[in-house]
This record gives sequence, structure tokens and C-alpha cells, in this order.
Amino acid sequence: MKYLVMVQGTQADYEAMQGKGSEGSVAWSQEDIQAMFAHMGAINDDLAESGEMIDAQGLVEPAKTRHVTLGDDGKSVITDGPYSETKELLAGYWVLDCASLERVTEIAERVLQCPQPAGAPVYPVVIRPIGEAPADIG
Amino acid sequence: MSVTPETEDLLRRHAPQVLGALVRRYGHFDFAEDAVQEALLAAAEQWPRTGVPDNPRGWLIRVGSRRLTDALRAEEARRAREEKVAALAPRDAFTAPPPGADRAPREDDTLTLLFLSCHPDLTPPAQIALTLRAVGGLTTAEIARAYLVPEATMAQRISRAKQKVRGVRFGRPDNWENRLPAVLQTLYLIFNEGYTATSGTSLTRRELAGEAIRLTREVHRLLPDRGEVAGLLALMLLTDARREARTGPYGELVPLDEQDRDRWDKAAIDEGVDLVTRALTRGPAGPYQLRAAIAAVHDEAPSAQETDWEEILGLYDVLVRIVPGPVERLNRAVAVAMVRGPRAGLAELASLEDELGAGHRLDAVRGHLLERAGAHDEARAAYEAAAAKTLSLPEQRYLHARAARLRP
Repeated sequence: MKYLVMVQGTQADYEAMQGKGSEGSVAWSQEDIQAMFAHMGAINDDLAESGEMIDAQGLVEPAKTRHVTLGDDGKSVITDGPYSETKELLAGYWVLDCASLERVTEIAERVLQCPQPAGAPVYPVVIRPIGEAPADIG
Repeated sequence: MSVTPETEDLLRRHAPQVLGALVRRYGHFDFAEDAVQEALLAAAEQWPRTGVPDNPRGWLIRVGSRRLTDALRAEEARRAREEKVAALAPRDAFTAPPPGADRAPREDDTLTLLFLSCHPDLTPPAQIALTLRAVGGLTTAEIARAYLVPEATMAQRISRAKQKVRGVRFGRPDNWENRLPAVLQTLYLIFNEGYTATSGTSLTRRELAGEAIRLTREVHRLLPDRGEVAGLLALMLLTDARREARTGPYGELVPLDEQDRDRWDKAAIDEGVDLVTRALTRGPAGPYQLRAAIAAVHDEAPSAQETDWEEILGLYDVLVRIVPGPVERLNRAVAVAMVRGPRAGLAELASLEDELGAGHRLDAVRGHLLERAGAHDEARAAYEAAAAKTLSLPEQRYLHARAARLRP
């Protein structure tokens, strides 16, 4: 069964990772970054080996988001960089093929254990099952 | 039990020869390529148990032939045209020995496959994927991990590429010299991908640089008189020589002028310098020879302060005439700054705004030169502007750190 596993972060969290700390988000040192990459890399390597990995990507900071909506006149309205410093948004995802909800939960728990600087905010890891196409008839 | 590195190296080296033998005999490049992959997998699985055979290439060709003929039969059966099965495989396929098992390897099959993989109808990503598969002998999974795409995506890319070249005659194309630049460009792209990979823990990304060097070495061995091939090999060796010093203890980027030169690979530098020196004596220099010569000047300097920037500037003056792209002019601007002072270098940057303004490199260089000129406030602004334009976390961290150093 396929699942989408998501991690979140705010614009301030991204800037903290880039070395610019702020009140809500302490700056990451190079050791912090390395530890994070090591942890996530090991998870991804294991998932690739087990065959559960379908895709995994990190998203760029919320400041680089583009919204495409409909205006009152029915024409599209394009807005770049609509974000607040403090709202957590999607930061990265995995698409995984797992035997059960228990299994993907186990993986999410491992993601949650990712090392980060003391005092850095913690957000839930979100799991959404992905709908399946209907089986062939006959 | 798994394969030793020596056996893995052996399999990769034999891969293009086996593919060449099968395609010459049976055609059907796409099926042949799949058959070679299966033979390599079978070897990787069986040889640790049974030992490496006396004639490994022969073993691979035999197993590959069987898989290929099986696959061709299955394909025809699916189309329910069984009367054509015998016509598909050569008449003596079931009695004669498999092709090329006992003959010496056709060494220029590697070159032929390289030219085939860099067919002009293929996009650069397709050329790269096919080169790494057909010539490099890497698995789809390895290539996918190296380029950070899902395996299914890479498999599709390779499959579509093979479809496109399926009907092409197997042999060195008549106008092969025209295709050599595409081959060298592909190898250079593979090298760059491996060399600049600073994030992610997968070793496969870093092994790409080694793979590119290995394949370029092979091309150089087969085309020893082509200066641009020697130049590319030299450029790769001279660049890769600095790898260990390029990242700090926690994976952070270390710029060239701050690198610990004791950690540079002296043997690679010696080989690169020798190659480029000889390549430059062989007639007018192309872009790879010139870039290699510039790298050689850097690598031969015992310290950053002793770098012969005037020679580097002279080489860039030639390079920007034959490669009029903005990146080369940007690098030349840095050399101008080192010879004539930072303000002279900054003056050169103005003309690049249109072409490079959207990316981060122009602002980053501007930041460095403003810093050297003592204009700390402007330098900080330039570094921050650059950091906002790059999507690479290591680069963002590096630029923010440089800006932070200039805070009053």
C-alpha cells in the first residue's frame, strides 16, 4: 500500500538551517546539519534497499512558493512568496510502498527521531494513505 | 555473500564488450542491453559462490546470449507470430558457439557504444543515463540514486532512450568526429554531478566522478591523439585531486584559497599536469585543454598566495575568445581582480548582469570582490542577495556565514 509521509517547517526554520537563527528557531551548526543528513540518509538508504522507497524529496523554503488562484473576473491570479514566518508548511515528503500502516508508522517514528539543535521546534510527521486505482475486473 | 570490489570492477569493464558482441551478432540493441544487465546480475549473484570463471567475458556472453534469445522468443510468442521465431535469431544460433566468446575483445566497442549513447536525437539526460548503463555497466538503481530520481523514472528514461536508438546501425558513425564533443560533454556532466555532490550520504554520487574519469581514460587510451580528450581527462584529474580538501569536517564548503593543500592528491595532479602539458603541444588548444591548464596553475601553486594569477588571466583571455559564455567571463573577472585589484574585477561584472543576474554566482563573486575592496556593508548585501537566489543548502550556509563575518 502506498503512503505519503510528510515533514513540516516554517520559513524561520529554513533560515535557521541556513545559519540565520531567530527567536522561534535556533541556528543550526554545521555539526547539526551533518547529523541530520546522516540520519535521513540512513533512513533513505534502508528504504531503497527494502524496496519501500518510491520517491523522497526536500522542498525549497516557503518564501519561494507560488500560488495560482482565480480572481473575481475568472482570470488567474499569480502570487509569489505568500508565507508567514511562523506557519509550518510542507517541507519534504516520502512516497513509500509499505506492507501496513504499522510499518509506515515505524518509519515515521524513525524520521521523528532525527537529531536537531536543542530547543528547535518539533512538528508532527504526517502520514496519508494514497488511494489505489480500482482492480481490473475479471 | 556479495561481490568483491575487484569483481565489480571486472564486471563493469567487461559490460560494453559483452554488449558489443551481442549487438553485432543479433542486433536488437534494446533487448541486448537488457540481456547484458541480466548476465551481470547473474554473475554478481553466482560468482561469489562458484568463483570467477577462467573466461569471465565468455561466461557473460554465453549467459547474455541465452537471455537474449529467450527474450526475443518470448516477444514473438506474445505477438503470436511463431513462424518468425527462427528468422529472428541467426540460423546457426542454436548450434554455433555464442558470438565473440573466444575472440579477443573489440576494444573500440566501448567507443562505439559511447557514440551510440550520445546520439544527437537523445536529450542530455538520456545520453547520460544510457552512457552510464551501456558503457559504464551501472545498474538502473545505482544511476537513479546518483541522480536522486526514483528508480522507475530512471528506468523509463533508459527504456525510451534505447527505443530511440534501437534501429541505429551498430558501428562507429561515419561522422563520429562531429559526435565527439557530445561524448566529452556527457562525460564532463557526469563528472560534475559526482564532484559537486556535497549533500546526501549515498556514496554512489561521489563514485560518479570516478566513473567519469574511468570512462574518459578509456576514450583517451583509444584516441590518444585527440588533444581535447587528453584535456578533459586532465581537467577531471586536476579537479578531483582537490576533493578531500574541498569540504570541511562537517561537510561544509571550503573555497579554493582556504583549502589545506596537503590534502590534495599529488599523484593525480602530476598525471593531470603531464597530460595537459603534452596536449597543449599538439596544436591549438580547445576549451577542455585551457580549463585543464588553468586548473594546473592552481594545483601547482604551493599556496594560494603563490598562485600565478597572471598566467591564469592569460589563459582565460584565450578561453573567453573561443567559449564566449558568461560563466567563463565571470571566472575571468575573478582573475582580473587578483591581478589588477578588486575594483578592476568588479568593473568586469557589470556586463554580466543580464545573463547571470537571476542566479546566485554573480552576487557571490561580487560579494567576494567587495569584501576584498573593503566595502563591507555592500559585500554583506551581495552575499545575502546570493544566498536568497541559491537552492543549495551548503551554498546558502556558506554565503550567510561569509556575510556574518562582516557584521560590525
